[in-house]
Amino acid sequence: MTIASDIMGSILHGALGAPGASGAALPAIEAGPWWVSLIPALPLLACILCGVSAAMRIKSKLPAWITVGCLGVSFALTAAMFQQLAGGRSVTIAWEWINVAWTDSGGHERSLIANFGFYVDSLTCLWMLFVTGLATLIALYASEYMSHDVGTGYCRFFAAFGLFVFSMACLVMGDNLILLYLGWEGVGLCSYLLIGYFYKKPSAVAAAKKAFIMNRIGDLGLALGIFLAFVQFGSVEYKVILEAAQPWLAAAQAGHFDEIPATVQLIPILLMIGAFGKSAQLPLYVWLPDAMEGPTPVSALIHAATMVTAGVYLIARTYPLFLVSEYALPIVAWVGALTALVAATIGMAQFDIKRIMAYSTVSQLGYMFAGLGVLTSTGAAFHVFTHAFFKASLFLSCGAVMHGFAGQLDLRKLSGVGFMKGWQFVAIAMLVGCLNLAGFPFTAGYFSKDMILAEAFVTPHMAPIGWILLLTAGLTAYYTFRVFFRVFVGPKYYEPGDEVHAHSDHGHGDHGHGEHGHDAHGHAGDHGHAAGEFHPHAPGWAINFVLLTLTVLSVGAAGLYFLGDHGGWVGKMVHASSANYPPIVDLAAHSGEAADAHAHADHGAHGSFLGMDPHKVMYYVSGIVGFVGIAIAFALHYVGRKTAATANADKLVPLLGPIPKLAQGKWFVDEVYDLLIVKPLHLISIVFAYIDKLLVDGLVNAFGWVPRGVGSGLRPLQSGNLHSYAVQMAGGVAVLLLIVFLASIAGL
Amino acid sequence: MSEKLALLVPEIIVFLTTCIVMVVGLSPNLAVRRSCGLLSASGLFIAAILAINGPAGDGLLPGLTPYIKAVIALIGVLLVMLVAGTVDREEDARVSRGGVFNALRTNRAEFYSFILFSLTGAMLCASASDLIWLFLALELTSLPTYVLVTMSTRGTRSQEAGVKYFFLGALGAAVFLYGFALIYGGTGSTKFVDIASIIAQQGINQITLAGMILAIIGVSFKIAAVPMHFYTADVYQGAASPVTAFLAFVPKTAGFVSLILLLALVGWDHGTDKVSVGHTLPSQLRLLLWVMAALTMTIGNVLAVVQSSPKRVLAYSSIAHSGYMLVGLIAGPGDYGAGFAHNGIAAVLFYLAAYGLMNVGAFAALAGLERRGRDGRPVEIDSFDDLRGLCAGRPLLGWTLVVCSLSLLGLPPLLGFFSKLPLFTSGIASGEIVLVIVMGINSAIAAFYYLRFAAVAMLEDPSDGPKPLAAPFPARAMSGLVALVLVISLSFFGDALMKASRNAAVVEGSGVRAVPASPSPGHKAGDRHDAASPAAAPAQRVGA
Amino acid sequence: MPSTLAAVELNSYLPIFIILLMAVTFAVANVAGSLLIGPQRKGGNKGIAYESGMNPVGTARKRFNVRFYLIAMVFLVFDVEIIFLYPWAATFPNIDPGSPDSLVWLGRILFFLFTTVVAYVYGFRKGVFRFD
Repeated sequence: MTIASDIMGSILHGALGAPGASGAALPAIEAGPWWVSLIPALPLLACILCGVSAAMRIKSKLPAWITVGCLGVSFALTAAMFQQLAGGRSVTIAWEWINVAWTDSGGHERSLIANFGFYVDSLTCLWMLFVTGLATLIALYASEYMSHDVGTGYCRFFAAFGLFVFSMACLVMGDNLILLYLGWEGVGLCSYLLIGYFYKKPSAVAAAKKAFIMNRIGDLGLALGIFLAFVQFGSVEYKVILEAAQPWLAAAQAGHFDEIPATVQLIPILLMIGAFGKSAQLPLYVWLPDAMEGPTPVSALIHAATMVTAGVYLIARTYPLFLVSEYALPIVAWVGALTALVAATIGMAQFDIKRIMAYSTVSQLGYMFAGLGVLTSTGAAFHVFTHAFFKASLFLSCGAVMHGFAGQLDLRKLSGVGFMKGWQFVAIAMLVGCLNLAGFPFTAGYFSKDMILAEAFVTPHMAPIGWILLLTAGLTAYYTFRVFFRVFVGPKYYEPGDEVHAHSDHGHGDHGHGEHGHDAHGHAGDHGHAAGEFHPHAPGWAINFVLLTLTVLSVGAAGLYFLGDHGGWVGKMVHASSANYPPIVDLAAHSGEAADAHAHADHGAHGSFLGMDPHKVMYYVSGIVGFVGIAIAFALHYVGRKTAATANADKLVPLLGPIPKLAQGKWFVDEVYDLLIVKPLHLISIVFAYIDKLLVDGLVNAFGWVPRGVGSGLRPLQSGNLHSYAVQMAGGVAVLLLIVFLASIAGL
Repeated sequence: MSEKLALLVPEIIVFLTTCIVMVVGLSPNLAVRRSCGLLSASGLFIAAILAINGPAGDGLLPGLTPYIKAVIALIGVLLVMLVAGTVDREEDARVSRGGVFNALRTNRAEFYSFILFSLTGAMLCASASDLIWLFLALELTSLPTYVLVTMSTRGTRSQEAGVKYFFLGALGAAVFLYGFALIYGGTGSTKFVDIASIIAQQGINQITLAGMILAIIGVSFKIAAVPMHFYTADVYQGAASPVTAFLAFVPKTAGFVSLILLLALVGWDHGTDKVSVGHTLPSQLRLLLWVMAALTMTIGNVLAVVQSSPKRVLAYSSIAHSGYMLVGLIAGPGDYGAGFAHNGIAAVLFYLAAYGLMNVGAFAALAGLERRGRDGRPVEIDSFDDLRGLCAGRPLLGWTLVVCSLSLLGLPPLLGFFSKLPLFTSGIASGEIVLVIVMGINSAIAAFYYLRFAAVAMLEDPSDGPKPLAAPFPARAMSGLVALVLVISLSFFGDALMKASRNAAVVEGSGVRAVPASPSPGHKAGDRHDAASPAAAPAQRVGA
Repeated sequence: MPSTLAAVELNSYLPIFIILLMAVTFAVANVAGSLLIGPQRKGGNKGIAYESGMNPVGTARKRFNVRFYLIAMVFLVFDVEIIFLYPWAATFPNIDPGSPDSLVWLGRILFFLFTTVVAYVYGFRKGVFRFD
């Protein structure tokens, strides 16, 4: 038994109780209602209609309203689906997609069935609720945000937006891994299209390509995982796969991983690679910060709230497979924790506020993975849920700033925005978002983060992860409030970004201007600003409405924690799904009724936080850590700050040696990748290009010339001369007869 | 007697239409004269409906008769639309300028009635149950086409083409008539059913075999297969584009139907050492068809590659398509219940329908355009330059050309792909791996020139200089549109046609009469018997 | 089978061979006869292609009245009609008038006559019968 198997075995032993206690059986699958199919269908319809609008050259906001309408109905249906669910699970088959049966060489009947079927359980509902809900809100936000691009670009944006929601719905709702893969690739494609939305900007194009290629690496793993799952289980449908893993659970509890086939254990590791790519984990995280080249609503929806959580969803959905693998969950935990730390350190040293948010997203995704790895799928799901709301609102606030200040995102060039006229809502939204992200007590982010932290200390052998995550929590609080203190409070000052011309281009016919007539003239206070002609425009009603709604939701998400035991409402949702078993460990710790079932759960395997019960003490510890982070940010970036560009923190920088420079340079990971992978590949590709050009093209050309040559050779026969034709025909008949005659003689 | 008459109702309808058109086409009233096309199309349409609902044939392939008649009549409707305005254009213009109508100078009546005669002949081929009948039907198909070619344009090239076509056609007819005579000599009967039962009971003797070989080679003139293909390019180029479309479909269909009927006389139950199951033609015929198929597709394709005139390219490609279809004939109907994919005959029948549509579409794009000649008269376009940027300039014609040429190439998911695929699969099922590889290579060569059509029309900018004009005949563009819609919709909803072609490919055994068109479940693969043993009863030889 | 077939059936080809032989003999005899019996003169006008026919110099595409063909073809229509009608008329009385066959026979010839009428109408409208 290796060390890893010991770890995994003891984790599961703690989790499942004594060997023999099997996980709760999944509820039976029912046939779902037909209208479930409409949830993905409506966004697709929106996409098609936007395409039609583009073809009809519609120059209004119609595409946005179509999209908002369709997504809104989709959200309503999702809510109805949630109402109908009542703890069971159902499958709705929209149409039979792939259904192939054959007999393999061993004489076994094999079949590949992958329907356009929608698997609905509480995990599906949880994800779809925030996917469709946020998509609706963000589409509304984008209707104003993208207004300077009304026309084809607008249609293109919303078409891709609708397609994204469709793909995400396929990913989340699909009842088999192939449909998931379709959605997975679909969201990747939409992400690519939307990152590269400003396709005339080279950096956006490069970022789009980077995101796409990085994801390909992960997708290769996912594809191999799906293949292997099919080979191993003979099916790609969840209902088969999830049941198939159950017999090995007992062996996994006992740590007898040598009894479990190696292929079974390999499957989750391959799937995990896919998850790392999509959810921007080490070492594949580098695409996500660059993805901020896309329009901000895209960053908020795709690259913060929904798509990047697909990896978490994948692991949660196939949790039973991960449980029976010796290495999978420990790897997930460590990768998640290290990603959280690395991304947080980079985030601390950035100046571009959107990029800081991007790194914080990577970091929080790391938290979620760590949560999965330390066996609190509830905590991970809860963090996904809360993070979706507050990160979306943070991004949208940043987007409002960017929109209003002509693309300015440098926190050294903006200050006191919250005190400017018309920016109050944005500031409030930002503050609430920051509090959530920093894990300020009694915010939603606090509860969800706390759950993961506590579990990291509870789960045996995982305490180092707990410490890393705790440190990260402090760093997070610091860099989050660094943004807030620099940009939203302090002396009023701004420099407009480089999109001034674009800004003045979009003209004052734009309703965002006319309606508000805001003249939040930036000559705020006594500070001048660079471009005299520039007037920042405060957000309009759509942006403010969406920000407010998100703020309320992100505050309200905290309330979910109290809607039930062991992880609250989200806990209930997760427990009723495939991500549940084994029943999560904190059943035993919390004095819940279900804990009785596991009263004999081995407390010896239960970890502790400095000798205390992590579940209780972590409320205080994480709260304190958050406070400390905020306080440091306050001291370094607010106290005594006179200008936008300088702060107390600048005095500290020299004391830390090269570390700030390295962090600012993102630890030069991109450069290392470039040197180790991109450059060598480029060299190889040059070599191959020459081989292709000389050898392959040469061969192909040769093949092309053969028919031409033969054709030219035969051409004289087509003389146009009737006599020759007649003779040739007669000759041909004779030759054919001769051939048949000779063949007959030869006995062929 | 009257049963046979019931079988001929569609042909009779077309013939009556012919009679009407012949008289109406000579009316002094221009409007009445112009109704010829509409009358012909309606007659064909009614014939098609009657054929679909009509009785199964009384020959060896009862299902074939209604299917192929319906296909011929329906595509005939499209062809009649396509030939609009081919003749009498100047005469009509002269009359509408106030000239006196001169019946001797108008060609409309003859033109449309010859088209209908030819279509009648092709339909009669499908009804054939006798060698003499088949010969007469084939000649009825061909003879009008010689005249059609000659009168299709006023240029001398058409006359030259018509003369060549006539003489070489006579040569071909002589060859297959000789073959028919030998078959009669070898078996003592001209009736298909009798011939088949004699061959099934006594095996195939040398004279019959020689007759079959000559008949196949002779009929291959109609399908423009090697070595009887030499006329194709000259004749196709000499005729007006709509008539070329007609030539590429009608005689070819008649030829393939005749070949199927002829091969059914022998049956596909002559097992050889090549294939373990007893589903193969006698080895000599198999070899003959193999050589013809390989040469036909290869020569057709390589010659198409070097052409510079679109019409000549299509002419040579039509040779190549015949080569593909010959593979299906070699494969035969396969095991009973083997499914569409293994039934070469069904594949051929499906391919004929598909090819007819794609062919109409491709030629409609050519026929829909014209140029002013030096003397101010409209002349046909005959270069790729005229097709440049067609999609931008004339989207309907352009996209029709693009879709149809890509479909002819066999690009998935278009109709051409789904019609070529069963030829491949049935070829593989019958063990002709090498031939299928040859076919694959040829499909790749075909990509060269079909993509040229698509690329020229879709990707290139219109060439400088005067652009080609639209031919002032909306019916031509309409036929292209109908073909386009059918090609696209059959690409996705072709199941019914596939099923129909499969039912049409049921080969009934000799002596078995009054069998429903669809195979009854009683026929099993085990019912087959070795045709070489005279003891076995002439029951179902092959179920489709 | 094939061998016996050849032996038996070659006999039936004997009349054809005789006719062929007669044709060849006739041709050869005539040519040989004129060579042997006819006078042999040379030179002058004798050397031209058609010594007593029309002058071969000039255009070969001489026009002559197209009605010649039309009349020939119209004649064919009626000629064929008679050729078909005669055997039919000779056979028809032998068929029992009550049998369904008789109706079919009658129908057939009426159909055939109908086609002839169509040909006639066609010819009429084409102006074949206008001799002006």
